[in-house]
Amino acid sequence: MNFHGHMNFNVRALRATFGAAVCLAVISCGGGGGSGLSAPSQPAPSSNVVSVIVDSGPSPTVQPSVNTLFTSVTLCVPGSTTQCTTIDHIQVDTASFGFRVLAAALPSGFTLPVQTLPSGGSLVECTVFGDGYSWGPVALADFTIGGETAASLPLQIVGDSRFLPASTDCSSQTTGPEEDTVLAFGANGIIGIGVESSDCPACSQETGPMVYYSCTSATACTETIVPVADVVPNPISRFATDNNGSFVILPSVPLAGETSVTGSLVFGVDTQSNNQSGTQTVVFVDPDNAQLTMVYMGTTLTDSFIDSGTNGIYFSDTSLATCSDNTSFYCPSSTVNLPLSIDLRNGGSYSTTFNVVSADTLATDIAAFPGLAGTLPASLSGFDYGLSFFYGRRVATVIDGSTTSVGTGPYIAF
Amino acid sequence: MTPLSSRDLRMVTLCTALLIAVLSPGIAAATLGEPEVSVQADSAKLQSSVKISDQSLYRLHEMTLNTGTVVREFVGLDGKVFAVAWHGPYMPNLRQTLGKYFDTLASAPRSGPRDRNHVQIQQGDLVLQNAGHMRSFSGRAYLASAIPAGVAVGDLH
Repeated sequence: MNFHGHMNFNVRALRATFGAAVCLAVISCGGGGGSGLSAPSQPAPSSNVVSVIVDSGPSPTVQPSVNTLFTSVTLCVPGSTTQCTTIDHIQVDTASFGFRVLAAALPSGFTLPVQTLPSGGSLVECTVFGDGYSWGPVALADFTIGGETAASLPLQIVGDSRFLPASTDCSSQTTGPEEDTVLAFGANGIIGIGVESSDCPACSQETGPMVYYSCTSATACTETIVPVADVVPNPISRFATDNNGSFVILPSVPLAGETSVTGSLVFGVDTQSNNQSGTQTVVFVDPDNAQLTMVYMGTTLTDSFIDSGTNGIYFSDTSLATCSDNTSFYCPSSTVNLPLSIDLRNGGSYSTTFNVVSADTLATDIAAFPGLAGTLPASLSGFDYGLSFFYGRRVATVIDGSTTSVGTGPYIAF
Repeated sequence: MTPLSSRDLRMVTLCTALLIAVLSPGIAAATLGEPEVSVQADSAKLQSSVKISDQSLYRLHEMTLNTGTVVREFVGLDGKVFAVAWHGPYMPNLRQTLGKYFDTLASAPRSGPRDRNHVQIQQGDLVLQNAGHMRSFSGRAYLASAIPAGVAVGDLH
């Protein structure tokens, strides 16, 4: 595979083709990643709408992103209207909760107040992803995305040199890598807008999850219980309005891929004329872990998820060829279209199909590639459908406990 | 006879596990590739309750951490741990459960388009697979050549 073959990637060329790509995306409605989806219409500009883009990410020549959705946010020192910074390439993630920004993405001299615990220690967080960990303090900022704001939002500053190195507790939860730089993290930050309203509700009751730490110096950190108000929240839940969830709206993408794709993130569900549920298929997810059940080739996979923050379609099918140089990805000799069923948890199910395209055919300048698929051991009981699910769909994510015209969260709908 | 409540059952399970641990020195949750040693030490480190069950081809040590995450350690009849699997809302301490293999895996080269929520590493005999997102993780590590004959890789979860 040529995943590391983007060395000749030309950002200027990307920008030049960007406008054309958008036009093509509009013209090529119905491509649907080959799934026969029609492209959803994009909303007009509005205070609850922010544009999103799939592109090669913040490090396009060194480590180009694939199927990674980004947006921009503005952070201000709490109470200030002048000490502000706007940061692009913030990953939009519907499977995590809370906003995190890389310290390296903040301008020098821009300092946000770190939260202090009643004990006097600084509050520092360990965020674990499937492939690695991030470490850094919890700070406050006035947060703006599109026209939505959350004043004094608790957020994590990842890789803040004042609090490095990461605690051994944190680095022991995965085999790494440490993702405390923009390059290692793959983004300038991440906005976790999944179905939960905060990243660790249990952390205000007990220690054990190895998430929140009280640090009296960079190297003296102990796990701590956190006041509820300091637990990093899903930023949407802190908006004054439109705070029950969101829609991600992306055009369909042809199987050959696109160098970039733009769409919209719309805040609120059934709160404005531009975020009405209409007739959606609702998939209620497990309130404990946001998981859902899919059925693939007769096998019921109870530990599945749909996630804008995953770059491929991960599942087990031993009849599909894996790539010769990387057996973690599929490389069928020709594109295959496969059936999939999603349990709606209300007695019904939703049937669809998806395409797998050889990962070897991912061209060097392609950032949106719907057919990228990787292996996942069947015994882990999951079918993990990443950003490709969102191409050509209007996907709602509704926060636990919020009620809309089509149901009560936690759910996703499309 | 009054049926046992779930609390009673938990107590019985715990007592059974402790009894086995006390009466059978050598039966213990341990670390990948190493012999079964003190269950108390590892279990205490991970703040867990332990349940031990004899399968025909291996012994299974199941630890339920106070976070709700379940860690299963698979011990061959030679007394060595050949696989560790985990499932739950928070990752366990892999440095503890993977022992000397932790650093091997941590320094292993990665390839392919990196995904935040999935990782697979193979270093010769050693395999690590992890998948999941905030609030839900599932994974395992095993020594392929140490899996007892008759045990499928798919059983290791």
